Amino acid sequence: MEATDFDAIVVGSGISGGWAAKELTERGLKVLVLDRGRNIRHAVDYYGEHAQSYQEPYYGLPNRERDSREYFIQQNSYAFGETTLQYWNNDRLNPYVRTPDKPFNWMRADVVGGRSLLWGRQVYRWSEQDFTANRDDGSAVDWPVRYADIAPWYSHVEKFIGVSGQAEGLPQLPDSEFLPPMDYYALEKTAIARMKKKVPEIPITMGRVAILTQDHNGRAACHYCGPCQRGCSTGSYFSSQSSTLPAAEATGNMTLLPNRVVERLEHDECGRRVTGVLTVDTETGERQRFSARLVFLCASTLASTQILLNSASEQHPQGLANGSGVVGKYLMDHLALSHTGFFVDDADRYYLGDRPNGLYIPRFRNVGEQDQDANFLRGYGYQCLPLRPDWETTFNQRGFGADYKAQLAKPMPIWIWALRAFVECLPRASNRLYLHANKTDRFGIPQLVTEFTWSDNERNAALDSGVQAGRILRAAGAVSIDVTDSTENLDVGGDAIHEMGTVRMGRDPATSALNGFNQAHEVDNLFVTDGSFMTSASCVNPSLTYMAFTARACDYAVKQLQTANSA
Amino acid sequence: MNRRELLQCAALLVSGTAVTPGSWALSQAQSKYLSARAPYIETATADFFTDAQRAAVAAAADITIPITGTPGALDAGVPRFIELMVSDWLTDEERANFMGGLEDLQARAGGDFSALPAPKQLALLEALEDEAADAPWYQFANTLRTWDPEAPFICAFKELTVLGFMLSREGSREFLRPNPMGTFDGDIPLLATDSAYSKHTLLRAIARESS
Ligand SMILES: Cc1cc2nc3c(=O)[nH]c(=O)nc-3n(C[C@H](O)[C@H](O)[C@H](O)COP(=O)(O)OP(=O)(O)OC[C@H]3O[C@@H](n4cnc5c(N)ncnc54)[C@H](O)[C@@H]3O)c2cc1C
Repeated sequence: MEATDFDAIVVGSGISGGWAAKELTERGLKVLVLDRGRNIRHAVDYYGEHAQSYQEPYYGLPNRERDSREYFIQQNSYAFGETTLQYWNNDRLNPYVRTPDKPFNWMRADVVGGRSLLWGRQVYRWSEQDFTANRDDGSAVDWPVRYADIAPWYSHVEKFIGVSGQAEGLPQLPDSEFLPPMDYYALEKTAIARMKKKVPEIPITMGRVAILTQDHNGRAACHYCGPCQRGCSTGSYFSSQSSTLPAAEATGNMTLLPNRVVERLEHDECGRRVTGVLTVDTETGERQRFSARLVFLCASTLASTQILLNSASEQHPQGLANGSGVVGKYLMDHLALSHTGFFVDDADRYYLGDRPNGLYIPRFRNVGEQDQDANFLRGYGYQCLPLRPDWETTFNQRGFGADYKAQLAKPMPIWIWALRAFVECLPRASNRLYLHANKTDRFGIPQLVTEFTWSDNERNAALDSGVQAGRILRAAGAVSIDVTDSTENLDVGGDAIHEMGTVRMGRDPATSALNGFNQAHEVDNLFVTDGSFMTSASCVNPSLTYMAFTARACDYAVKQLQTANSA
Repeated sequence: MNRRELLQCAALLVSGTAVTPGSWALSQAQSKYLSARAPYIETATADFFTDAQRAAVAAAADITIPITGTPGALDAGVPRFIELMVSDWLTDEERANFMGGLEDLQARAGGDFSALPAPKQLALLEALEDEAADAPWYQFANTLRTWDPEAPFICAFKELTVLGFMLSREGSREFLRPNPMGTFDGDIPLLATDSAYSKHTLLRAIARESS
């Protein structure tokens, strides 16, 4: 076998790349990790952590001029702001093509650690029904994997990252390996008690989060300061920086190169093996080629797809590993929308600390079999957040002086409880990515074109989430209810930041790009383990599943290498 | 943004705030970061208002949020915040509206608002509010948009005053109170004397229209 620079190259150091780095180095491989972003050191570079409003420029009010010029896509995220600015992609410097009537918002980080620094940390296992859904309702292609195949890998991942939550024994939401769940707000206790009486068929549980409620693997329990996305120097939430990269580093087998954007992959004469990873140094523009026996693409769904499409060759005219033509197609996200209730209960109760988590209402529609009254396939879950409104909602009143000032001091005597539905999105070929024929970015890499629309299935499920939220909020005792009952102003694709599906796995090389172990059907040493491998979307937050599949793919790839060595 | 959108956006955030108590010592390397920085109003400079305008803004801010048993707008450096925001943060059009409104206030005061006795100052501000009463700015919960570019001068002034006070060091620590971090307990009594917690993130900052 030809000599290579490394045993394996991992492209991307976010949630999936961090896992690939850890699993491969722990199995003894010499691994090069490439990331286009600049380095962020754990703790010392968390610039915004624990900053106070008065320390932020403009006291934290958005810098409208800069944001609309440099961050016109990223500024849409709730997690975007002065304290997290350093993590986000600059949209002016790193363009893509957003099709106006089929808009897709590409929400991305541009640092080592990727979006693991910014993410919401909600982690939910898929169920057996999620893996059989395509087969059962005839969408897209069947998953080549079942729950039993991935369950041990969920456990493997959860034990390492630390997941707090409550075991419920629900078939549609299998339990994780749990640390103790977080504590409840008084209003949540009130709402749950009423729901148990009035809508006992609707499950509700404490949000399952990759945040520690007790010390775990050398990381400290959460100190409840609130805005995790600024970075956590106690490592209390899972990020590549707090968890996987240190583990990989500790093996002595990892080389991490920030500021390297991967442009394309080269292959051997017959087109069955990747032989080179071509990079551009984002600071100097210098081009460099690296080789390895294994290549793991973990650059996130859109970026990995772009790399494959940009690696087209004589043997792979539609893009590397794309004989099936599915690469770039079947883009999915979740459709998120909010429904709110107002409560006069527990107005005399308050809280200590800031819990970076809500409650979760797991999917209860079309569970097991199709509900008679449902005009849509699949379902949705709700993330439920309590909010105590205060001066920020009430200051626009008349008056001046001591009385005006005094009324700004008190929290309003109500609670708001918001149910944010995340609706499963079906895979459709028309939601797609492709390379622009002549537009390139500052490195000369062809720009990605995005096209995305919702279908009636998502719209109908979204409307149903409003109807059911009304029922839930009434049962919970809301005095006023405001549900979304129109599909006119829905979020666009990408807004839920759960983009996936454009390098899907399947059994048949004619209709899928990857096999059930995330290995390219057509390229033996190429694995793709970020969200692009997803054959369908479920309705739960996806990153835990990316981690589990990444770990499983690493195990498989290394076993294959060992078999090849001994043969 | 309508009321529904606003409240839905509001509810995106689990409310609370962060503060660094003494026991949470910052590492050496971290101390160069935001949380170790002097307040924005002390680090940024603005020399935009005339002395007379500066005095008028200070007087009006003092009338709006006076010093009571707790710090007021003047203790919290609100006039300086307003000058910084007007010179640097408002758009050209918003700035022109604000300055027009400020000059109008001065003219109504006979040229020097700050020289009037307090009751006369209050009467002038109240008159401006009477005239602005129909502005959408006053609609219930119309507060979480980033900024209301149509806001009449008196409304823009009040909004900057409130933000400059509530988000300041003095306002957030001695009028509102920091939410102590360390543990979470979601069910403690709220006493009649308790103020709300100060904020680590403004709802309006996360409530951008996404589509
Ligand atoms: C605000 C927010 C909240 C979220 N909340 C949740 C949640 O609660 N639960 C959940 O499951 N998910 C959540 N997500 C989504 C989650 O962050 C992503 O699913 C996850 O990070 C995807 O992992 P990844 O490894 O595929 O990509 P990323 O974590 O984005 O990492 C990709 C890495 O690849 C690098 N890269 C990209 N292109 C190239 C290239 N060409 N060459 C070299 N390197 C490259 C990037 O710099 C980046 O470091 C959230 C995301 C955000 C932003």
